[in-house]
Amino acid sequence: MKPLLSRKNTTQFKDFATVLPALFFLGLFVYYPVVQVVRISFTNWNLINDNYKYVGLKNWIWLFEGSGTKYLLNSLKVTALYTMGELLVTIVGGMLFALIFNRISKSFSFMRALVFLPKYVAMSSAAVVFIWILNTDNGILNYFISKLGGEKINWLGDKNRALLSILMLTGWRTIGYGMMIYIASMRGISKNYYEAASIDGANSWTQFTKITLPILSPTTLFLFVTTFISAMKVFQSVDVLTSGGPYRSTEVIVYMIYKYAMVDFRMDRASTVAVLFFIILLVITAATMKVSNRSVNYDV
Amino acid sequence: MKKSLMLIASLLLVCSMLFAGGAAETKATTVTAPAVSYEVTEPITIEWWHALEQQYWPLVEEIVGDFNKSNDLITVEAKYVGNYATVNETLVAAHAAGTGLPALSVANTPYVAEYGKGGLCEDLNPYIKATNYDIDDFGEGMIVASSYEGKQVTLPFLISTQVMYYNKTMADAEGITIPAKITDMEAFLEKATKKAADGSTSRWATIVPGWDQWYFETFFLNSGVKIINKDGMTTDLGDKASVDLTSLFQSWVKKGYTYWASGTSASSTMRQNFIDQKSFSVIHTSSLYNTYKNLVKDFEVGMAWLPGGATKKSEIGGSVLLIPAKNDQATKNAAWVFLQYLCGKDVNMKWADGTGYMPTRNSVLTTQEGKDFLTRKPAFKAVFDNLDEINPRIQHAGWNQLATIWKSYLDQIMIEGSDVETQLSFMAEEINEVLADSE
Repeated sequence: MKPLLSRKNTTQFKDFATVLPALFFLGLFVYYPVVQVVRISFTNWNLINDNYKYVGLKNWIWLFEGSGTKYLLNSLKVTALYTMGELLVTIVGGMLFALIFNRISKSFSFMRALVFLPKYVAMSSAAVVFIWILNTDNGILNYFISKLGGEKINWLGDKNRALLSILMLTGWRTIGYGMMIYIASMRGISKNYYEAASIDGANSWTQFTKITLPILSPTTLFLFVTTFISAMKVFQSVDVLTSGGPYRSTEVIVYMIYKYAMVDFRMDRASTVAVLFFIILLVITAATMKVSNRSVNYDV
Repeated sequence: MKKSLMLIASLLLVCSMLFAGGAAETKATTVTAPAVSYEVTEPITIEWWHALEQQYWPLVEEIVGDFNKSNDLITVEAKYVGNYATVNETLVAAHAAGTGLPALSVANTPYVAEYGKGGLCEDLNPYIKATNYDIDDFGEGMIVASSYEGKQVTLPFLISTQVMYYNKTMADAEGITIPAKITDMEAFLEKATKKAADGSTSRWATIVPGWDQWYFETFFLNSGVKIINKDGMTTDLGDKASVDLTSLFQSWVKKGYTYWASGTSASSTMRQNFIDQKSFSVIHTSSLYNTYKNLVKDFEVGMAWLPGGATKKSEIGGSVLLIPAKNDQATKNAAWVFLQYLCGKDVNMKWADGTGYMPTRNSVLTTQEGKDFLTRKPAFKAVFDNLDEINPRIQHAGWNQLATIWKSYLDQIMIEGSDVETQLSFMAEEINEVLADSE
């Protein structure tokens, strides 16, 4: 008697059955919410009310042609600035710290631990501490600035400084992470390259730009992609430190979504912004991956 | 590749069709509801969400403990959820999910309209009727503030209003009197402000809280601004009366008489400035009287009614109590018993004594008990003298959105010094769109 499934099909069926539970949960907790968010963006649901109507493109028109446009553009600008700041701190700062602290000794191990330690502090706790560090009248930072003869700075209440203040907290937390990732990669680079370069007369800068940087490019790409995505989704530090203010100067896009959903109860508008944000992230990530395939060195 | 994409797209489509039920439009039914019993017949444990901070937890434990001791069937577990904003978020999320709801919850007064419109709260009228609960003992304004379109969806719990705290010791020494009218503010601010040799402000006359529009909206209302017009779809915040008052505030900020307190730590910074005597006075909620009194050691704290305009109204602040509508009947019944206890006259006095909130009962406010309360907290005379001026808050489903926009624009005007008329005109346009969309 001929079996119902061929050997190849049986293997495929078994494979599929093995991943089915994972697919089910992935569908339930990832794709189902995504589909629902898209659906809600075409309704007038306000979170409290169980009743809603489909309103077609009304929310999308509000976002692109109504009062939502200027807030969207503002949030995109703020998010882009924040993301660039965090990328700079994590990649450039992390690289610099890695070059400084990449020594094998107990004292350097201790110093590395000190730099990395803030990563373990919960963002919300760290943000509460930073509120007081940055307080205009009673903060310790302004205290030292005053002692040095400087003027008190309104760190969180000045629209030109508020984002910088958030980045100070971010840098404090993430620079050690970038450093550790780079150090781990640097230690994997064979010393033969540097010895050969030295014999050929290459100085330290040439060795760094011609050997270290190209070999570290996959690590840089990894840090770029992971930092980029996490920076685009920044929320907690903004929520605790500035609540998006002063007058929306730190209103990143996730905070904008949160505010529409949980403060104004406008789940419809929040979902519309969320869908757009999802598409933006998807496109940028895909573009990054495509560019990286051409310019990142995976050969070493 | 194309096949895979098609497969994923098809799966998503199927998923969306399968799960698209969610919170669909409800259809009217004509089924007659069975008679509801409001009795508690079985032992039950219920949860009460509150926003009373740590310094009040002993009082909460005492009051809840007394209830648990006196009631055989109901056990109450009090849970501190966070400030009013956090309670709101948690409650709304639980309501949307339809699970994890408390039996009873506090809510900040401006949420009553939105909760009422959305059907989050149980209509308490049948409970009041079934148990002959004396609702008339609450002040009329409080009843209006806690109801929505004739339905008593909440009951007044911890009530406060806007006041000005001032340094009484300083006022007596320097002969400064708190103005009764907005038109007298300029002279008061000039006298109470102290400037350093370089022209910078070394002591502010007062501080205006910009982080919550509740504190400044009363100035607008008393100056003839309606905020939301009768049609419910437009605002007059861009009109002359609003522009004039906003310009006045801006001029006071520019002159260094006051500063516009906004941002996440604005409240605590403002409080600290007052305690450190860097400000002669602050505009804040009457519920913080105990806090100010306990924190200030070097001077006497006075409390004054806010300066008025054509009227001298204030608005109810604080919190109400509500029963989530999605709970089962047994939980609602137990919650109603506990709610009556929490709002009862004796317990209400305990709250008023132990916190800075006001008594809510007429039988306290206008009787010997009220006089006794004033001997314990004489500063509250400013509030007791103006009880009739305390009004319900503006109720509109788009109120929170309006408030967010208003605060943001005023922040910009006060801190950046932007042109008032232009900014308020943009703001009014934006608010009109929100109001029309929320109706």
